[in-house]
Amino acid sequence: MTRILLNSRLDECLGAWRSAGFSVFAPVKRAELTRFDEVQKAAEMSLDIVMPERTIKDHFFLQTEPLIKYTITKQQIDTEEMVPPERKRVFFGVRPCDASGLDIDDPLFGWDYKDDYWFKRRDNSVIVTIACAKADDFCMCTSVGLAPDTAKGSDLMLHPLKDGRGWLVVPHTDRGKALLEPVAGMLQEEAAETAPVPSIPAKFDLERVTAWLASPESFESPLWREVSQRCIGCGSCTFLCPTCHCFDIQDEGDTYSGIRRKNWDSCSFAMFTMHTSGHNPRNTQSTRWRQRIMHKFNYYRGKFGVNSCSGCGRCTRQCPVDMGITETLQEISNLPK
Amino acid sequence: MIYNPFPMRVISKREEAPGVRTLKIEFIKQEDHEFFKAHYKTGMFGLYGIYGEGESTFCVASPETRTDYIECTFRQSGRVTTTLANVDAGDIVTFRGPYGNRFPIEEFEGKNLLFIAGGIALPPTRSVIWSCLDQREKYGKVTIVYGARTVADLVYKHELEEWKQRDDVDLVLTVDPGGETPDWQDHVGFVPSVLEKVAPSPDNTIAVLCGPPIMIKFTLTALEKLGFTAENVYTTLENRMKCGVGKCGRCNVGSTYICKEGPVFTAAEVQQMPQHDL
Repeated sequence: MTRILLNSRLDECLGAWRSAGFSVFAPVKRAELTRFDEVQKAAEMSLDIVMPERTIKDHFFLQTEPLIKYTITKQQIDTEEMVPPERKRVFFGVRPCDASGLDIDDPLFGWDYKDDYWFKRRDNSVIVTIACAKADDFCMCTSVGLAPDTAKGSDLMLHPLKDGRGWLVVPHTDRGKALLEPVAGMLQEEAAETAPVPSIPAKFDLERVTAWLASPESFESPLWREVSQRCIGCGSCTFLCPTCHCFDIQDEGDTYSGIRRKNWDSCSFAMFTMHTSGHNPRNTQSTRWRQRIMHKFNYYRGKFGVNSCSGCGRCTRQCPVDMGITETLQEISNLPK
Repeated sequence: MIYNPFPMRVISKREEAPGVRTLKIEFIKQEDHEFFKAHYKTGMFGLYGIYGEGESTFCVASPETRTDYIECTFRQSGRVTTTLANVDAGDIVTFRGPYGNRFPIEEFEGKNLLFIAGGIALPPTRSVIWSCLDQREKYGKVTIVYGARTVADLVYKHELEEWKQRDDVDLVLTVDPGGETPDWQDHVGFVPSVLEKVAPSPDNTIAVLCGPPIMIKFTLTALEKLGFTAENVYTTLENRMKCGVGKCGRCNVGSTYICKEGPVFTAAEVQQMPQHDL
């Protein structure tokens, strides 16, 4: 026997989680854009879509994160360190690729110096994924070794039932099990058939890609120029990526008071690596594109044993010049042996 | 937490050369100072900042043998360095660090040391120089080759004078052709050619080389001609940094993060990096 949650009882569940002190976040469509936002009722959720435009990364690695508030008087500087609010959160209806993205970034924020802005939010959040029942042409989780129902990063996974009445409930962590306690009475034991997971054909050969990237000929290859000619360096791919984590630190305010902030940044931007002297190690769009691909599929896996990509396909789906990582990886995959 | 810097009080400011200043700063809080003393080793860097403007990355120019204060030397060029250049004694600045790896000076014990620096790259070299000179008995012959564009551009002039007076240090000074003054008594010429002329022996010798990329490139060739192997030449790299702790994603050269695996590398290690990412 397995436990199922019916669509009709979802509102009750949300209520129970809220009573247990959780804020519930789910994909919400507003002004043609679907993003994770706090919800009160199931009707606000936009679950029947392939992919929200924005990732849940937005709620863990903030677009702009206040670090330190400062006030300067004559001979004194007062500072106040800003820490993320202690708030228990449930993220409901997360795509498995987005949950995997959090898991992929954990070692980066945790190695050596721990970034508590990330971990305070991670530790207070429960990730409830819904296994994908549909995919589009841009989805590529299967190409990076994941799957539409991959459990990586999920505390609790819901598998859609074939008859559309609700979901099969499968906890994957203690945190996921604990989240079921307040809603135990709202689940029912039933042998139910789940909807088939969509078949997503592999778009490239990941092993060939990573082997080539790690080989000595890749860095100076003419391929980088060819595949990046269309790139306008807008940074959309970075900002929509569930794993991109590069940031800038800037003081915003006037001479006497303000806030030091950690802001999203992108390797696509010319200023990203520019020295004050004017020297820029990555001074063309093609060298910046090379950095992006190398970082995700060579450097990051070298350091943390995992690719910095969970295959959501947003970078390609939403690229204004129809470029994206997939095309580059296909080109690499198709290079003559 | 991680990005919160130590408040520091400016003890003094010194003009080194046109646009180049040294700040001597001290910790305000005892526990911050204890942390620094426990962790700082020569070669490490920090992020020096001022609220309202931001942070900039430079080396710690003072040696690991003198940790009552921190000295940093920088050229006034951007927003942060311009503000730092205008602070006065008593003002509050910030420091985050010490970060990165170090020159393994205990491995240099019993060896001759050849220091080579160009222009504004004397500060990181000087940290190693004093760290070794303060334990002079542990090392063999010490030679310092330092060059700048013009006589005015030489930094730490008072210390150059001190090294010149010492009989346990060989100081070779040079300025680029055209950069000499009428009373200049030392060499005229670029560092690599002066180095070849002086021809220090590679036997049992470690070279520490810091300078702009072009100088490093030609000096390495000169060192090879003199018989130095790339494994015995140490240098320090720098790149734009924001976090200093391996997260913000910009200081890497190939797969190597300057902030974590560096900034100190042997020339052999640098040669293994993709040169067009430097």
